[in-house]
Amino acid sequence: MTFDGTFDDKGLSRRALLRGGAALAGGAAFTGLTGAPAMAADAAKPDRLTMLYATSEADSDAIKAALPAFKQAFGFDIALDTMPYNALQQKAFAELASESPYYDIMIVDTPWMPALTNKILPITDMILDPRANEGLDITDFIPKVFYDTAVYRRDNSALHFKDDAAIDPAKIKAEGFDIYGLPVQSNVLTMAYRKDLFEDAALKAAYRTKFGSDLAPPATWDEFAQVAEFMTDSAKRRWGTTLMAGTGDWATDDFKTLLAGFGGDGHLVSDTFEPVFDSPEGVKALTYYAKLIAKKVVPPGTTSASWDTAATSFGSGLTAMSMNYHSETLNPTVKGEIAYAMVPKGVARGPHFGTWMLSVNSYSKNKDWAFRAIKWFTSRETQTKALASQLHPTRLSVYAAAAADPGIVAKFGNFYDVLGQSLQVGVGRPRLTNYADIDRTVWVAVNDAARGAATPEAALKGAAAEVATLLQQAGYKRS
Amino acid sequence: MTVVRTGLRARPAAARTRSTPSRRALKAWGFMLPAGALLLAMTVVPTLYLAYCAFRHEDLLGPNSRWVGLENFRHVLGDPNIWADALTTLQFVALAVAVEMALGLGLALMLSRKLAETDLLTALFILPLGVTPVVSALVFRVLLDPAYGWVDYYLQSWGLIDQPIDWFGEPFYAWTAVIGLDVWQWTPFVALILLAGLQGVPSEPKEAARLDGANALQLFWHIILPFMAPFLAIALVFRAIEAFKTFGSVFVLTGGGPGTSTSLINLDLYRIALQNFDIGAAAALGICFLVVLSLIMGRLLAVLNRNTDILED
Repeated sequence: MTFDGTFDDKGLSRRALLRGGAALAGGAAFTGLTGAPAMAADAAKPDRLTMLYATSEADSDAIKAALPAFKQAFGFDIALDTMPYNALQQKAFAELASESPYYDIMIVDTPWMPALTNKILPITDMILDPRANEGLDITDFIPKVFYDTAVYRRDNSALHFKDDAAIDPAKIKAEGFDIYGLPVQSNVLTMAYRKDLFEDAALKAAYRTKFGSDLAPPATWDEFAQVAEFMTDSAKRRWGTTLMAGTGDWATDDFKTLLAGFGGDGHLVSDTFEPVFDSPEGVKALTYYAKLIAKKVVPPGTTSASWDTAATSFGSGLTAMSMNYHSETLNPTVKGEIAYAMVPKGVARGPHFGTWMLSVNSYSKNKDWAFRAIKWFTSRETQTKALASQLHPTRLSVYAAAAADPGIVAKFGNFYDVLGQSLQVGVGRPRLTNYADIDRTVWVAVNDAARGAATPEAALKGAAAEVATLLQQAGYKRS
Repeated sequence: MTVVRTGLRARPAAARTRSTPSRRALKAWGFMLPAGALLLAMTVVPTLYLAYCAFRHEDLLGPNSRWVGLENFRHVLGDPNIWADALTTLQFVALAVAVEMALGLGLALMLSRKLAETDLLTALFILPLGVTPVVSALVFRVLLDPAYGWVDYYLQSWGLIDQPIDWFGEPFYAWTAVIGLDVWQWTPFVALILLAGLQGVPSEPKEAARLDGANALQLFWHIILPFMAPFLAIALVFRAIEAFKTFGSVFVLTGGGPGTSTSLINLDLYRIALQNFDIGAAAALGICFLVVLSLIMGRLLAVLNRNTDILED
């Protein structure tokens, strides 16, 4: 099967419009045939619902903490199964492939969704149904997060819905797309820094003497390199920043953040299935990244570091700054204070982001109640209560609530403020069924360049050629 | 006078109860049936299904499953990364098993001496076998962390290195770590097999050789080693099979990195089958791997058979 997406930034082409119309008609026919997903307001209340969820990746503690309140509100339990990432993906895919009705609700990560549009229940009709959408307030979700996470075309799951305006389910439906879940946990790269070091009088004086400006959290990538170098004092076992250059998804995320910052397309692959990272911007971004490592402003072991080891390094007081997907904590032995800032910008800013959503299993026997449950778990009230458990909210109003809550501010500082701002400019992943292969190819190139095994130019050129082959093998492009 | 019935020859009682050849064969098949059925269900049928999948595009999550002929084989065999990872796998098996055989033999020789501490030492050396590979890899990962791991800390404290070694950032060190972990875990297994062999070496030839003036090396080379040959062959075959199956330890320890320098074929199988869910391509790669393994194992089993003949002789 060959995909040839025709969306562009300016809107729909005539061809896409015709296809959208056909898809809409097809979708309506499908809905009629399956009898779903029209909301049955009087659907029998189940004894319980079953939910498949992640572990720390999507802050399962917050969901567990919400279960008693759920029972109080609904009168029945949620049976919650939590699994770490790899096991979760295999479990979710196996359940859906075998058309098992066991799990009513599933958490879905964005890279999985291109393969799952036939298996996850579109909930657009439920959202449009006034009987079902009571209290949903769909426009409260962060638009960029919502579109990147939950809006797909069943007939071409590779396409992004290109719109950052307020969420309009009717418009989404009219353009041939559907909503496949409600965002529950937003992860985005933010920059944590040691506030105590940035406010240290001696360091401030030394910085002013050396650079003629005030020591402050870097706002640009140039400042970031300068501050990282300044903060590095290996004799004191202190380095400027962590990076996640080890072989794994995290290295791709670091690179795509820099790529977007240097003016490239942080999605790595365009909607017309061209690798877009082997560009002057890509080479600049990877050269910058490799130089940071070559200058040793990062702790030892950075070329094998993951998000986990980066968090440990920062938490152990080894670095002054760190970019990661979550809030950070310092070990009790490290006397210091943490604050947060958005990742720096170059000609643009585009921190990597990816959001988990709660979806309804197409084969569930309790679709209506599952929809009510995901509506409840992603509601303003539930997310606001989950702030204390570090759930990363997906609603604009919850960020406002976090800023107004002195307890949350005292506990997390400005983390939620920065998280909310970062999500609004985040850049997601390409929508490809073989993203695991694409991801691996890119992280190998990043790792090769980071440890000096290849020049950034050669690494990216080789990776782009390999990605083109992978896209062709997956049927996205003809040879 | 005894009346003898005509037409029937009198048979001894024992002969009357003895089964005919066909009944014996039937009984034998009956005894084999449970094991045969189990083998069929657990090995033969899945292998045939694997072969079937290798010629199909299996779309687990959509309606596009179809027959694709040799396309999956073209896909995996046309991928230079797969060939590179196959070579890496062969290098890993050859290196790891060679080191384990050498160290295992040394360990077995040491433990075969009748000392008071031998039993305790044997028990201690067996401990790594009881640790699952993934847990071993997690422990090694922490120990070898260049920022706060014990290994670099002590190497620096003792003045052996100036800068911490980035064990997972350089191919040479990553290989050292991967091989080191496998050797730590599996050398005791080799040693146990060889220890059993050493304890079976008869004392007469050794005493005779000593009387003839053979030194320790000559004794080992000309007497002990030939007797040990079947045990060495068994250890080699078992370890080679296990080493080809290595996945969890390398997946956790290096993830195939740095770059792709420690990427084994099993990591590719995992990625293709359980991350991309391209079951057809994974099945084709699995079949290719199975064929290569069968050829290698065929040769190793021939070595084993040749050597076990010594015992029978």
